[in-house]
Amino acid sequence: MSKKIMSWAYCAMAASLFLSTNASAQSTPKLSDPEIASVAVVANQNDIGFAGIAQKHSKNADILNFAKTMATDHKAVIDQAVALVKRLGVTPKDNAVSKKMLADAEKTNASLRTKSGKAFDKAYIDNEVAYHKAVISAVEGVLIPQAQNAELKALLEKVDPILKTHLEHAEMVQSSLK
Amino acid sequence: MIRLLAAALLVLSSCSNSPEKARQNEPAAPKDTAYAVFTVEIKGMKFVPDSIVARKGDRVIFVNRDLVPHCVTELDSKAWTSHIIPPGEDYMHVVDSSSNYYCAIHKVMKGKIRVKE
Repeated sequence: MSKKIMSWAYCAMAASLFLSTNASAQSTPKLSDPEIASVAVVANQNDIGFAGIAQKHSKNADILNFAKTMATDHKAVIDQAVALVKRLGVTPKDNAVSKKMLADAEKTNASLRTKSGKAFDKAYIDNEVAYHKAVISAVEGVLIPQAQNAELKALLEKVDPILKTHLEHAEMVQSSLK
Repeated sequence: MIRLLAAALLVLSSCSNSPEKARQNEPAAPKDTAYAVFTVEIKGMKFVPDSIVARKGDRVIFVNRDLVPHCVTELDSKAWTSHIIPPGEDYMHVVDSSSNYYCAIHKVMKGKIRVKE
């Protein structure tokens, strides 16, 4: 999938995730704190999954280093989220958004597994750029504004610059592959 | 000697953003331990502050206040590195020359130390 198509696909994904398809009144979904926690965990798990495939399919040092960082950082975020919901006595709740994210990630995983060499590296890093853009958009536009619990909101606000740094790093790797 | 060094460090740490003041407040420390201590917080995926002017022998303590591990590595020749600094932990660098540094884990995070004579 070309970079433009991949970017378009994730813009469409972001739109489909966070806008209802009701033609008469498009609006962002209303998520409870348990649902926001679920979306946050799934978003991080997805990127750990992409990183795991990269670590098996790539031989490029920049890709491998980036993937290692993604696996480490997103696990750290999940650990913090899990610790928080335990402390708050909240159970993350599956919802339409988290289910859609999981289903889309499975398709991406299947596509990445068919590739190797430079084609894989390009597909992986293009996906990372597009995925982080989509998740940043969701965190800033939906999850942070809708979070009711102050600690959950604070955690999301702390995660946002991590995602932005990942995006900048991914774009740097993407440029180096050209 | 170790106790004196520790005492000097404690006194100066409390004034970490004001090295000149720290030097004035250090009557108990012998001259050879008269160094300033700077604190650089790693937070919001940035080095804060990202630029320091120090003297040879001064200490810079990097404190990781982020959720994720970081490191501090000299940029141009990898002359020195902290290795991994887990969240909540810190690393002390003794200044011996001007350095540009970065986080080798998150390569877009950068800072610098300038040595004044």
